[in-house]
Amino acid sequence: MLSRVAENLYWFGRYVQRAENTARLLNVNANLMLDLPRRMTLGWGTLIDIVGSTERFKSLYDHASEENVVRYLMTDERNPASIRSSLHTAREILRTVRDTMPRETWERVNDIYFYVLERGDHSLARAPRQAFLQQAVSGTLLIYGVLTSNMSRDVGFQFLRIGTNIEQADMTTRILDVRTYSLLGIQPGDLSPFESIQWMSVLRSLTAYQMYRRHARVRVNGPGVLRFLLQNRDFPRSVMFCLSTIASTLPALPGNRKIERAIERTRALIRDANLDVLLATEGQLPQLMDEIQIGLGELHGALAQTYFSSNT
Amino acid sequence: MAFDWSQYRCNGLHDEMFVAPDVPRPSARALLAYLRSMSGKELADRRLAADLAIKVMGITFTVYSEGKNVDRAWPFDLLPRVISKTEWERTERGLKQRANALNQFIQDLYGDQKIIKDKIVPAEVLADSVNFRPQCVGVKPKAGIWAHICGSDLVRDADGTLYVLEDNLRVPSGVSYMLENRAVTKRVWPEIFETTTILPVDDYPAQLYDTLAALSPRPGESPNVVLLTPGIYNSAYFEHAYLAQQMGVELVEGTDLFVDNDDCVYMRTIYGPKRVDVIYRRIDDLFIDPEAFRADSILGCKGLMRAWIRGNVGLANAPGAGVADDKVIYAFVPQMIKYYLGEDAILPNVPSYLCMIEKQRDYVLANLDKLVVKPANESGGYGMMIGPRASAEERAKFAELIKQNPRNYMAQPTLNLSTGPTITDDGIEPRHLDLRPFILSRGESTYVTTGGLTRVALVKGSLVVNSSQGGGSKDTWVVDLDEDDPAPVVIKTKAQTLAPGQTQTQSKAAAPQGAKADV
Repeated sequence: MLSRVAENLYWFGRYVQRAENTARLLNVNANLMLDLPRRMTLGWGTLIDIVGSTERFKSLYDHASEENVVRYLMTDERNPASIRSSLHTAREILRTVRDTMPRETWERVNDIYFYVLERGDHSLARAPRQAFLQQAVSGTLLIYGVLTSNMSRDVGFQFLRIGTNIEQADMTTRILDVRTYSLLGIQPGDLSPFESIQWMSVLRSLTAYQMYRRHARVRVNGPGVLRFLLQNRDFPRSVMFCLSTIASTLPALPGNRKIERAIERTRALIRDANLDVLLATEGQLPQLMDEIQIGLGELHGALAQTYFSSNT
Repeated sequence: MAFDWSQYRCNGLHDEMFVAPDVPRPSARALLAYLRSMSGKELADRRLAADLAIKVMGITFTVYSEGKNVDRAWPFDLLPRVISKTEWERTERGLKQRANALNQFIQDLYGDQKIIKDKIVPAEVLADSVNFRPQCVGVKPKAGIWAHICGSDLVRDADGTLYVLEDNLRVPSGVSYMLENRAVTKRVWPEIFETTTILPVDDYPAQLYDTLAALSPRPGESPNVVLLTPGIYNSAYFEHAYLAQQMGVELVEGTDLFVDNDDCVYMRTIYGPKRVDVIYRRIDDLFIDPEAFRADSILGCKGLMRAWIRGNVGLANAPGAGVADDKVIYAFVPQMIKYYLGEDAILPNVPSYLCMIEKQRDYVLANLDKLVVKPANESGGYGMMIGPRASAEERAKFAELIKQNPRNYMAQPTLNLSTGPTITDDGIEPRHLDLRPFILSRGESTYVTTGGLTRVALVKGSLVVNSSQGGGSKDTWVVDLDEDDPAPVVIKTKAQTLAPGQTQTQSKAAAPQGAKADV
């Protein structure tokens, strides 16, 4: 496996996963808005915070209205992380590594990319948006479907998996960071029906609601949701699950000590966190999320150094 | 409403589907019967389905336009071009003969230069060749093969003679489109394969792999073959990726490779450096190695020539093979065939006038309005002048160019290229076309694609088939009438009686042309 190809596969996985997550995020937020009372401050701006694009957004738009945020995240070419840009980048990357993936991958990426390109700008309004976003999600799932059922579990596949999982871990921590932050100011009991709606939306942003209910069998509550999305070993979008998946690819990869250590550090951080205490103390949870993010950054650095850089 | 095929007119030219208005060639009879059964709407639906298939399959080519690289859908015409197996077998023999002679010629040029000493090819042709690489003198690649992959362009004139128009020995492209055209036809027109025996084309990637693997300097082990591409902005990148995928070899860029102190080529992998045995390079000579050629090239790999000369890596095509990819040297191919193989050329050259020879130059200058003038070393249809269509100013410009640098120009009569029915916005009309088969030379055997890539000038009356200049393509069928159901038995005998006649007239045509180029 060429170093350049390994790096491209990794980024392909990340961009497809990013497109999917962004589509889900937009869809869930729309539903949440319908349920919350108007006086609640939480709005569309938090989505921009989640994807970590506040500066760029501000330079392009006056205010974080629904219309602006949706356009920015869905079809704006000036946002490198919009659904359209992510799929565009994934497609450009795929072009250079087409020979390593099943041919159908290219066809499915084209399907969804052209769909987004042609329909995106007509799907910004609420009514057509939902169908559009669902189609975008289905399109990315088809790509995974082709890869999972048709691609040999060779080294290239491992880099794809690392890419999708590191991106997911990143997105999960971002959602927890921003969403719980806005939740923390809420007085317990005061707005409890809405509080639980918000926690439910956190779960739904990560398609975790149903799996959480099956797992927890209690009313949706903060510590429970946090525990599930950070520490659960079975749910594929929990940070722990993503890290364990990355760890499971290591036996197939050469010279992996540095990577193993980076994964271990972050896993320990999550495993040892006392979530009840963190939630009760202001500023603690965002700090943990920052530390996890730094851990993911180190993991990326280790991968780049070991596999992606030119090793003459 | 169905298209009325009796209204199709071939305007006195040779049409690939019709002998005369409403009389199909035997090999196209089944196809035409099928097409007649289709309503206009059905045909339009299939055309749409083909466009969609091309988009979904991502069959594209890149053009450089307005300062940007644009990815365009591959232009494909649904109506196939049909060739009879009998005619093809003869063409195939002619192409093998030609590739064989060209390879011996290149080996000779970088070796003893006997053909020059024997005055078959004038020394000045070689002295002024821009594609002659002094770095290659004395090198003898495996089996003496330099041009492992050759794409020769064939055109048919009004009288039905199939001529070789040029040989592409540097980095010929188009074979992936030949394969994809067939894939599209199968996808949108599966039932058509039930009525006609169309010989398959899919064997090419496997044949190409075998050709490349045989070049490995380390026999016995499973060789590490790679395809070297200039990158995604190259117009043929689609093809590079496609072929790498079909062969299951690594698609590499220059930065993925390096030559170590042991003069061996390595690629950078996640496991560390890995030795490379064979490189199918799709980068022009001058860019493959900044150490040996252009120092400013960032596409190639430093030290590649060193490694190749030492015999540590196989390169296809070999550097310097392009010396025979010269439109002046082209004129001497019939003599080469005679000289090296002692045979007459099976496929004739288009009569050619070399401006470096005074008498012929005078003829060219006096007849600029009738001739096509071509520079010796351009490809893609650039830098040429089609006399009958050029303005007086253009002709004056070319007259000047020829006088300044006679070695760099040659001229040929304007051929009335054959046509094939093509779907246009105004219904089905004849359009000019050519054919590019691909020839793989391995020394002990030679392989020719079944048919090749048919390129068609989509613009009415145009003779330019290059995709970068408004050309399209067609699936190319070599049809075996012997395999068909008993019904067209009559046709079968007809085809057989036709075949020897064709052979005779064409080999007769070959001889005088050979003589003409001698003048």
